Amino acid sequence: MSLSVFAIRCIQCIALAFALFSVHAADSNYIADLQTRVQDQRIWQSAEWLNLLHYSGDGETTAEYRSEVNDDRFFLSADGDVNPESELLATIAAFYQTDISGNEHAQCRFVARLNWLKQKLSIDASTLPVVQCSSYIEWRKHVNSDHVTMVFPAYNLNSPSSMFGHTLLRLDSAEDEGNSRWLSTAVNFGANVTEDDNSILYAYKGLAGGYSGVFVVDHYYKKIQEYNRIEHRDIWEYRLNLSADETERIVTHLWEVQDINFDYYYFDENCSYRLLELLEIARPGIELTDEFKLTAIPVDTVRTIRKNGLIEQSAYKPSQATILRSLLEQIPEQDRDLVMQLSSDISTSRKDAFTSLPPGRQGNIADTAYQYLRYQQSGQERDPAIAKRSHQLLLLLNSYPKDTLVEAAIEIPESPDQGHGSKRASLGAGKRLGNLYTELGFRMAFHSLEDNEQGFLRGAQINLGNLQIRAEENEGISLYKFDLVDIFSLTPRSRFFKPVAWKVYTGLERQYTKGVDQLTAHVTGGAGGSWKLLKNSQVYGLATARIEYNKQMDRAIEPAIGFTSGLLQHFGPSTARVDVSGEQFSDGIYRLRAAYNQNFVISTNHSIRFSAQYEWQEVDEFSDVRLNYQYYF
Amino acid sequence: MKRIIAGLALLTASQVAMAGAAGGDAGCGWGNALFKGNSGTANHVLAGITNAIFGNNTFGMTTGTNGCSTSGALGYGGKNAVSAIMDEFSEDVARGEGDALNTVAVLYGVEPEDRDTFALVMHENFAVIFPSEDVTANEMIASIEEVMKADPTLAKYITA
Repeated sequence: MSLSVFAIRCIQCIALAFALFSVHAADSNYIADLQTRVQDQRIWQSAEWLNLLHYSGDGETTAEYRSEVNDDRFFLSADGDVNPESELLATIAAFYQTDISGNEHAQCRFVARLNWLKQKLSIDASTLPVVQCSSYIEWRKHVNSDHVTMVFPAYNLNSPSSMFGHTLLRLDSAEDEGNSRWLSTAVNFGANVTEDDNSILYAYKGLAGGYSGVFVVDHYYKKIQEYNRIEHRDIWEYRLNLSADETERIVTHLWEVQDINFDYYYFDENCSYRLLELLEIARPGIELTDEFKLTAIPVDTVRTIRKNGLIEQSAYKPSQATILRSLLEQIPEQDRDLVMQLSSDISTSRKDAFTSLPPGRQGNIADTAYQYLRYQQSGQERDPAIAKRSHQLLLLLNSYPKDTLVEAAIEIPESPDQGHGSKRASLGAGKRLGNLYTELGFRMAFHSLEDNEQGFLRGAQINLGNLQIRAEENEGISLYKFDLVDIFSLTPRSRFFKPVAWKVYTGLERQYTKGVDQLTAHVTGGAGGSWKLLKNSQVYGLATARIEYNKQMDRAIEPAIGFTSGLLQHFGPSTARVDVSGEQFSDGIYRLRAAYNQNFVISTNHSIRFSAQYEWQEVDEFSDVRLNYQYYF
Repeated sequence: MKRIIAGLALLTASQVAMAGAAGGDAGCGWGNALFKGNSGTANHVLAGITNAIFGNNTFGMTTGTNGCSTSGALGYGGKNAVSAIMDEFSEDVARGEGDALNTVAVLYGVEPEDRDTFALVMHENFAVIFPSEDVTANEMIASIEEVMKADPTLAKYITA
């Protein structure tokens, strides 16, 4: 920018400020001086200012910036959303405005900006007009924030998509509440979804940016009810080592963004991304969001804050369902029978089989039966008969002194952020249809059944954007497989829990049909059951249905029914899977496959995978054997 | 302690504004799925994030009634909190310990050294506080306070 243009712009800005606001006359020189310093020293380019206004982009001119805030009320300059400089000049002018008083004054609305500017420009506080911010002062009385904790509700059994998880911040008071933090304040960022939107519309709008996002503050006990008791998700808590000043910046900024609409995208500008932004505001100089420009998977954001030394300590809070499962595993078989009977019939408590047991054991059976009954009721409408039985079970439980009850011993799992990286690259070689090939693979996210299970949920697979490219001998390089979505959920069934095993799988894959090997498109789904054999092994069987677009078949789009069944065996972190599957198409073509996959874990982010598959068709049969090195990051 | 209760009053007041949009979140009073008079806790993550909680319009409502009495040891916010965790509280009282029991003690301003007493007294009076599955949150709160008043250690926390 040439000097003359600069001067003209500078004059324009100041003129604008005067035109918009009536400013205390005696201070006008002081304000102009502040504004000149902002321009001369390019203070509008400082990271703190860009973070406070949620600008993305970086560059020499203001034209290279755009705020992710999508709300006129957040900006004091008409072009503030795309111009950090004019916004900063307008903000200074607004702080000196004298024709507005009270809660609507910029000093009351933008407390974090004011605090930062006072410090950055060493503003003489006596030059600022005195404003009474009664709403803000009232609000601050109610926000207790002596500690900040990042909360990560972990994975939900039988819902692999929950593995993408969620994060929220919790503001804790210094008040001694023992180990419970039910009275803390939860800070959540989420899409502003209308109730009428169904899940397909939600998915679409979430991906395409059709929603705006807002910060919401709520009681933390509601989050416990939501995650621990309704969705049955264990909760991980990571206490952050923020200082009082750093925490103050979060709280004052939360005040600024109340009700303010942000961009919201499910994959990147989501809950976890915005919380990282809050932490960047809290601790100037820290860079957390850079690696999440494309996707921000919540567990990866936890990894980032750990890597940056923000986590002071972590704690694990098992869900009600986890406690119940542990209780059921730890009692004798005879007691499990009684739990089952008692949960459906209170008169069991008067039978000899129950009354002859020692009181402590009776108490534990009553406790477990109560929890089992409530577990079955979660998410259901209130049923008067079940409410009555629940109350009777509580009366029974209450008849045993507290000291006679035994608490379930809960094994603390590996923290999710200690698991393998979300992305995976692989390099391998093999032989298929008699041809040798080398293979390059890349997976956007997230976890396969055979991957190292530490930090993940056993029997839950969700893969998005899995790509395999092969270079075959005598052929060129070509796409072998692209899985858009590949979900497989195998939660074991027991007499107490009856989850459905299910899979949804869609994408492109090479199929050998009528002597021609070519790419096909498909959608495949299935449902069935899975059962635990031993502690580390489970079997499964599912009926499947498939629609395939394959030029070799009679119709371009051919439906099929089929099955998949197998065994999943864990050897420490390494895992093997044997699978037999097949499908019969309506035009008579069938395929039958037997496959063996084994993952040998070298370390958290490195493994070797061996797979062998044999396929039978009406005329042909062939094999595919390969060895891959896999790297997670 | 007062600060916490006041804070809850604020948060809870905005909850009332939420109730309409979220559908089914009890504005005031009455417990959860076990005890009578509630349509069940909202069963979707998104229900909780559809509403901003600290809008300016909520400030005027901190003393609003919405069917709840604002008098008593708990105040409006504390009452709402105890009501909202009624199910969890009943379970902890039956057992004699737990986070919900501890939370209610905190809401009544019970000092750490008296919390074991609070837990024991609640445990011993389960049948008084929860006489049936049809008990309402207001009845439960009244009983808690009667029981506390009758106890030499806990009576000082109930000064209506």
